[in-house]
Amino acid sequence: MLDNVWLIPLFPLIGFLINGLFGKKIKNEAVIGGIGTLMIFLSFLVSCGILMQLVGMPPEQRVFEKVMFPWIHAGSFKADMAFLVDPLSAVMLMVVTGVGSLIHLYSIGYMHGEEGFYRFFAYLNLFCMSMLLLVLGANMLVMFIGWEGVGLCSYLLIGYYFEKKSAGDAAKKAFVMNRVGDFGFLLGLFVLFWWFGSNHNIWTINFVEIKAASHLLPYGGVVTLATLCFFVGATGKSAQIPLFTWLPDAMEGPTPVSALIHAATMVTAGVYMIARMSFVFIKAPETMMVVAVVGALTAIFAATIGTAQNDIKRVLAYSTVSQLGFMFLAMGVGAFGAGIFHLMTHAFFKACLFLGSGSVIHAMHHALHKGHLHDDAQDMRNMGGLRKALPITFITFLVSTIAIAGIPGFSGFFSKDEILWQAFANPYHGSLNILLWGIGCIAACFTAFYMFRLVFMTFFGECRINPKVKEYLHESPLVITIPLMVLGFLAFVGGFIGMPKLLGMLPNYFEHWLDPVFELANEYGKQYAHSGAHHSHALEFGLMAFSVVVALIGISIAYTMYMANKSLPEKFTSAFPGLYKVVYNKWYVDEIYDFLFVNPCKSFGNLLWKGFDVVIVDGVVNGTAKLVMAFSAGLKGLQSGYVHNYAMGMAIGVVTIIAVYVFR
Amino acid sequence: MDTIAIPAINLAVIAPEVVLSVVAMALLLINVFVKSEQKGYLGYLSIAGILGTLLMLIPAWGSSVEGFSGTIIQDNFAIFFKVIFLISAAMSILITDKYLEREGCNQGEIYPLILFATVGMMLMASGTDLMTIFLGLEVLSVSLYVLAGFNRNNIKSNEAGLKYFLLGAFSTGFLLYGMALTYGATGTTKIAKIASYIAMNGVSSSNLMLVAGMILMSTGFAFKVAAAPFHMWTPDVYEGAPTPMTAFMSVGPKAAGFAAFARVLLVALPALKPEWSSLLWVLAVLTMTVGNITALYQQNIKRMLAYSSIAHAGYILVGFTAGNAVGTAGILFYMLSYAFMNIGAFAIIILVGKKGEENSNVSDYAGFGYRHPVLGIAFCIFLFSLAGIPPAAGFIGKFYLFSGAIQAGYIWLAVIGVLNSAASVYYYLRVMVFMYFKEPTEDFEWVKLTPAFVLCLLIAVIGVLVPGVLPGLFLELAQKAVLM
Amino acid sequence: METLFFLIVAAIAVICSLMVVTNKNPINSALSLIMTFFCLATLYVMLEAPFMAAIQVIVYAGAIMVLIVFVIMLLNIKSEAGRRTSHALFMGISVGLLLLVQTWYLLVKSSLSSVRGTVDSAMISKVGHTELIGKSLFTDFLLPFEITSILLLVAIVGAVVLSKKKL
Repeated sequence: MLDNVWLIPLFPLIGFLINGLFGKKIKNEAVIGGIGTLMIFLSFLVSCGILMQLVGMPPEQRVFEKVMFPWIHAGSFKADMAFLVDPLSAVMLMVVTGVGSLIHLYSIGYMHGEEGFYRFFAYLNLFCMSMLLLVLGANMLVMFIGWEGVGLCSYLLIGYYFEKKSAGDAAKKAFVMNRVGDFGFLLGLFVLFWWFGSNHNIWTINFVEIKAASHLLPYGGVVTLATLCFFVGATGKSAQIPLFTWLPDAMEGPTPVSALIHAATMVTAGVYMIARMSFVFIKAPETMMVVAVVGALTAIFAATIGTAQNDIKRVLAYSTVSQLGFMFLAMGVGAFGAGIFHLMTHAFFKACLFLGSGSVIHAMHHALHKGHLHDDAQDMRNMGGLRKALPITFITFLVSTIAIAGIPGFSGFFSKDEILWQAFANPYHGSLNILLWGIGCIAACFTAFYMFRLVFMTFFGECRINPKVKEYLHESPLVITIPLMVLGFLAFVGGFIGMPKLLGMLPNYFEHWLDPVFELANEYGKQYAHSGAHHSHALEFGLMAFSVVVALIGISIAYTMYMANKSLPEKFTSAFPGLYKVVYNKWYVDEIYDFLFVNPCKSFGNLLWKGFDVVIVDGVVNGTAKLVMAFSAGLKGLQSGYVHNYAMGMAIGVVTIIAVYVFR
Repeated sequence: MDTIAIPAINLAVIAPEVVLSVVAMALLLINVFVKSEQKGYLGYLSIAGILGTLLMLIPAWGSSVEGFSGTIIQDNFAIFFKVIFLISAAMSILITDKYLEREGCNQGEIYPLILFATVGMMLMASGTDLMTIFLGLEVLSVSLYVLAGFNRNNIKSNEAGLKYFLLGAFSTGFLLYGMALTYGATGTTKIAKIASYIAMNGVSSSNLMLVAGMILMSTGFAFKVAAAPFHMWTPDVYEGAPTPMTAFMSVGPKAAGFAAFARVLLVALPALKPEWSSLLWVLAVLTMTVGNITALYQQNIKRMLAYSSIAHAGYILVGFTAGNAVGTAGILFYMLSYAFMNIGAFAIIILVGKKGEENSNVSDYAGFGYRHPVLGIAFCIFLFSLAGIPPAAGFIGKFYLFSGAIQAGYIWLAVIGVLNSAASVYYYLRVMVFMYFKEPTEDFEWVKLTPAFVLCLLIAVIGVLVPGVLPGLFLELAQKAVLM
Repeated sequence: METLFFLIVAAIAVICSLMVVTNKNPINSALSLIMTFFCLATLYVMLEAPFMAAIQVIVYAGAIMVLIVFVIMLLNIKSEAGRRTSHALFMGISVGLLLLVQTWYLLVKSSLSSVRGTVDSAMISKVGHTELIGKSLFTDFLLPFEITSILLLVAIVGAVVLSKKKL
């Protein structure tokens, strides 16, 4: 099976070619969607086979490189078109192909009747191929090809509704920000390549070879430079501070795209890349610190913004940014396994959430359309009480929300708690630990709050949708709900394979599975962080309990604010008519809450959003653009069109050059 | 009176040039008898001539033969470049006929002139004597002056021809002066002898005359390849010249300039490497930056591609600065792929344009991608390749050039190059945004494909994608063709 | 004596070429150019290159300049309008002066280190300048010599294409 690893990216490529070339002629949606889904599902089957085979091998032998053909050979420089299978890429394969298949299936229902249905599936398959190349690449160049490819597909898919101007702008923003990140990746590659080559005459960009030679790398210095470059690449792709603003805008794309690309797979590429090069990153303590701090800040920052949003997809988008921040936090504190674990569980529950929101939007849209209304189908203020109309969506959504909030027993709890514990207990960042852990906890609290706010506003309470169209609300078809159910199930149980030792019911399969990949990095880590303080089990247990409490606090705030106070008025109405007015106004609790909590919170969120996001980030980006444009206009001014000016320019050039060389 | 001992004349060495010149002269004669509306057939005849020349070149691959007492050589380096010239000439000819018809200047002389220009380029790539290189350059330049001003009805074309002529003559002065100084310092114009003289007599950078000769020759070549600050003619000439000729000029002569430039610096003056590589470093950075930044501002797509071609000269200079095997192979590979992608892009521009060079603003492409999906995809492929996005050939080429620079230790140069190519995405992307994300304002009904265009675009797409996906073969050829 | 003669001729050449540029009447410019060519021919003679001197006079001063004068007369070009931007003039002069300084510096600092060729005054007087040039054209520079023919052909074709009245 291992030898057939090349089949994995090949199937989606075939799908892309069939749908891209003949899709317009096929016309039949079932055939187009069927081909697209089948291809990625075949990849999933091959991936399963590979996983099984890996499981059957002794842990230390679980590395396999398949060279397809020599690709670029130039003197000492060598890059093959080669695939690398090891436990890490196997996990990613399962996530990409598994979640990918479900989302393809879902899209058949969701995209039904859209113009350019074939185009959507062609792009989706192309995306999967690129992502699989990224994951499987045995050297940085193959990875880079995939890296660029996913960026391109994301661009194409965000701009899918190209007739909307905002979609085109969002696509462009995403692409340009991704490119900023990409150049970081290339620079990092160059620096590493050059350093190994010029100092040790090892001209390689192959991961296995770099790993074998990684003991030659010094701590800090050039490694810091290279890893920082790589990290710039990761921030672009994975929407971290300061390059995150494209992700919320990317919600202009169809919802399955948001689920697949902007939640489950592509945006995690940065995390994957750091994990893939863990043995390089760990040698740069400064970079690790930067990664951890950026991750933690992004986690809390995006979470606060999430509390102030009313668009259902935007809440989820900021939530994704925040969760990615958690993953980077894990990477930054050397908890590579925990980060990848969270990546996986996040893929389950966030894909489920996005698809669930898609189902809601689908239903809303359908209903509003029938009633000829033009209300916003994504605004949660127009929703409410949808749990009756959309039972399956509701249950899967709730499960996933509980998972992301970190309630014990659900997948998100295991992974997030592992990250928080590692942030606390890691030996790398001195006294910064507590701070990182604290920020993480607060972010977790916010997460629980805004996710439950989302659930309460959408599925509970009275229905705020226009009564005229209420009757049109109904559950989505099976092709949409089946993926929801599968993902919801995974969001529930997916965490058990990585259960912490402390709870001891199951061995931590996941960590053992990834051990061979991160062993070396952990060893390097130990070499410079000798004083790994030993923490007692009691402490670990206490922290775990604390994080649960924090999550519960978040939930209860959301409950009080969006559920409890709403039922209060009715009881009092008849008994105390005098109080009626007050009670009618819900004890003005909303207002008080608004004044005390929501408004400060919202305005803080808004402030962060408007102040930072709009003014500073966009300002810097636009400012640079303006500066460049001004410079460009200046250069254009030189281009006067007069021959004598051009000749003068040349003569000045010659005189200057001669002056430099002759009068040295 | 004693007899003149005529040296060994190895006619086989110049056979391709001879064949092409003869075809060109024959076409000049045939042209007289061809009716004005049938001039297109001359194009096919000239393509036949080009194919014949190509066939003559292939068997010569792998050998290295000198001729005419060391004034010319047929080696892999020259052959590789000659193939690039011939391909670019053939592709430009394919898209010429329809354009001339539309613009109403159906003159058959254009085909012989293109062929003569190609002969000039071939001589530049093959020349091993400064005189041969110079004369080849002149044959090329004189043909190009005429080709740039070929559309006599269009005032912009006239202006382009005259501007190019005046500035070209100016730069030729520098080039010739540099050659004279080099001759003065070494006593020979033969490239191999210059090198051996320098090596034997220990002449080095302390000899100011040699250094000045190198600088002046470099400026002359820099003008030809449109490197900043000698680039200013480029946008005006490219914009004004008939579009097929712009396509031709932006590829062939640039490659020829680099071929001669490389032979002079790498073979004749390796002793001055510290000097010329620092000079090229500065030129490369200036060229990339000026080209890319000015391109950001352009609304006219021909002008935008003109600046982009300046920027591409800058990328190639990066590989040149490295001066090692990887960098040189990168130049060869990049030049080859650049020929395909640039001519392909210009072919689309011709198709979309109307008489009198209308419709060449970026905003005129609104919705084009949906009116003509196949052409739209082809254009996207070319633009992606120009922007250096995998899997197009442009990416591999750039990667190669930059890794050459890195191997030679020019990290910062590579960094600047990567930054530049990141910035360049913006303006290529803008065209695609117009093509796909804007409401169509026109129906693009006048866009009609002819078989010649289809062939040209097909060659271009294949030429961009195949070396991009399977660069191994092409890189191997390029490596066999480097000068060291 | 020779130096003095050289200085006189060189001075005339420089003055005449300045007049070419500064004269507003094109005919005067053309005549000054002819004068410059004659001075150059004189310099060639002094450098023991009589053939070059003869060619200079016959081809440049004779053929080409006559052609130029004819064109000027045919087109009836009046005196130049005389609008010159002063800063361009200033830039031009300063760049020119800089180039002059550089050339001077170059001449002072560098040495003509190359090998002396086999051709010297004795040989020229014995074999003859014309024959020496002819020999080298047909041996060492045979190919460049042949390429010139293509160059001329291209120039003729170009001139016809750009100027013939009816296409």
